[in-house]
Amino acid sequence: MGLFGNSNIGEPAIIDMKSVSIRYDNGPEILSDINLSLKRGSFHFLTGKSGAGKTSLLSLMYLAQKPSRGVLNVFGHNVNFTDRDSMAVLRRRIGVVFQDFRLIEHLSAFDNVALPLRVCGMNEKEIKKRVKELLSWVELDRHMFDKTSTLSGGEKQRIAIARAVINRPDILLADEPTGNVDNDIAKKLMKLFIELNKLGTTVVIATHSDKLITDFPYPRLHLNNGALRIYDAREGYVRGV
Amino acid sequence: MSNRTSNLILRKQELPLHNDTTGLFLKVMISIAVFLFAVTLAGVLSINAMLAAWNNSILGSLTVQIMPVNDIDQQKAREETLLNQEKTLEFLKSLPEVDSATPLSDEQLLMLLQPWLGDGIDILELPTPRLIDVRIKHGASIDYPKLAEKLAEVSPYASLDNHKLWLNKLISFADGLKILAMSILVLVVAISAGAIFYTTQTNLGLHKNIIEILHIMGAKDTYVAQQYARQDFFIGLFGGIIGLVFAIPTIFMIAHLAAQIEGGIINEARLSSISWLMILLLPLFSAVTAMITAYYTVKRTLEKMM
Repeated sequence: MGLFGNSNIGEPAIIDMKSVSIRYDNGPEILSDINLSLKRGSFHFLTGKSGAGKTSLLSLMYLAQKPSRGVLNVFGHNVNFTDRDSMAVLRRRIGVVFQDFRLIEHLSAFDNVALPLRVCGMNEKEIKKRVKELLSWVELDRHMFDKTSTLSGGEKQRIAIARAVINRPDILLADEPTGNVDNDIAKKLMKLFIELNKLGTTVVIATHSDKLITDFPYPRLHLNNGALRIYDAREGYVRGV
Repeated sequence: MSNRTSNLILRKQELPLHNDTTGLFLKVMISIAVFLFAVTLAGVLSINAMLAAWNNSILGSLTVQIMPVNDIDQQKAREETLLNQEKTLEFLKSLPEVDSATPLSDEQLLMLLQPWLGDGIDILELPTPRLIDVRIKHGASIDYPKLAEKLAEVSPYASLDNHKLWLNKLISFADGLKILAMSILVLVVAISAGAIFYTTQTNLGLHKNIIEILHIMGAKDTYVAQQYARQDFFIGLFGGIIGLVFAIPTIFMIAHLAAQIEGGIINEARLSSISWLMILLLPLFSAVTAMITAYYTVKRTLEKMM
């Protein structure tokens, strides 16, 4: 399996968008006619100015909403024809890191990270083992039972990342995952994403960080005025999709 | 206990429902509802017991009274009275619903009069009415007002025991009262379910952000609904127990007041042990009702909301 999705020609796309558009209520289209195909094991950065629609594109990918127009297939399921319970099961295969973390503030770090496992009905013994291990890896084991409302921005971000990867997702979607952490932690987190990617996880990271894009030369999905282009520095071309 | 069941009962509640003020409102609401329900249910069950006792006394037997004929000649008056009794007896025996009709002897009449007139009375010297004890065939039903009319046609001196007629009217009244009480029970359940429905809906709005996170993590609507159902089960149980704690002394007080009514009619309205068990199980009933209502409210609302 190649590092980039483009090399997996012939394999069904893990996320496939055909002429997808999104609008809120009766407002203008935020994203228009997006065509995108992400293969298993691909790694992309998602870039674009603020308000370009990065968060909306990610929300389509993590199935928080359905497209207003077009066809969106996730894991081979057309989301327009997938019932609520099946959508929930599909979401369990997707890990999401939000820019604003979206942690449950009254719960401890442990309970926040355990959330995706509890939702799947995993037994508490296994949950305890996995969560302890991961919190230790992100250097938050001493804050395990602290309420997340008492933690710093960087600590919250690491909890959000731990929560996103705890159930070894098939897709990892991260919105500015290194925005609130220092360089050392940022490198460590990127290493984690790359390791997960090597294990077959499809990764999409929305970022404004030029340094991140330069240090890790993965293909870039760039949104501009609601339209999407792919920049691939390693293969030396730019294409519209 | 299976792993799945223990997970369901013991697992962490992500929604901070135990801190909500809507929970307190529901507890108060349910305790009032259970109080009203318990008192009304006790009323319905008492009426049932009373009706059963009255029906038993009405079904199976009745009494016909033959008023004495007034005449200066006591012997003649007595003979005419007995003649009227014979005519009435003949008529009663001809009725297909009647199993037997037996006139009360002088000795039996004397025994009935003794408490009022004392010892040493001669019944032959008194213009006393004659009584006929009528036994009704098993399963037969009698139209008492119609029977009274027919008796009057056979002999103007014959009349149906007023008490039976009055009791028959009272049974109709109690039946109506029972229907009314049952309607109150249905209304109390409907209002409580409505309150749970609206508070749950409000609560879902309050915790929309957390529910969204749960959904993104892959939680099904059932996962969220179970948290509400579990919470409302305990609210229903707690509210139910409080309601019952107030209802039981109220029921005893009403029973005590009813027992003071003369005539012993209300005394028939005793609650059986099964009736008490039904009343004592009300907190469990309110808990299960709250749980089911919350569960389906969440499922339905989430489908519309997200």
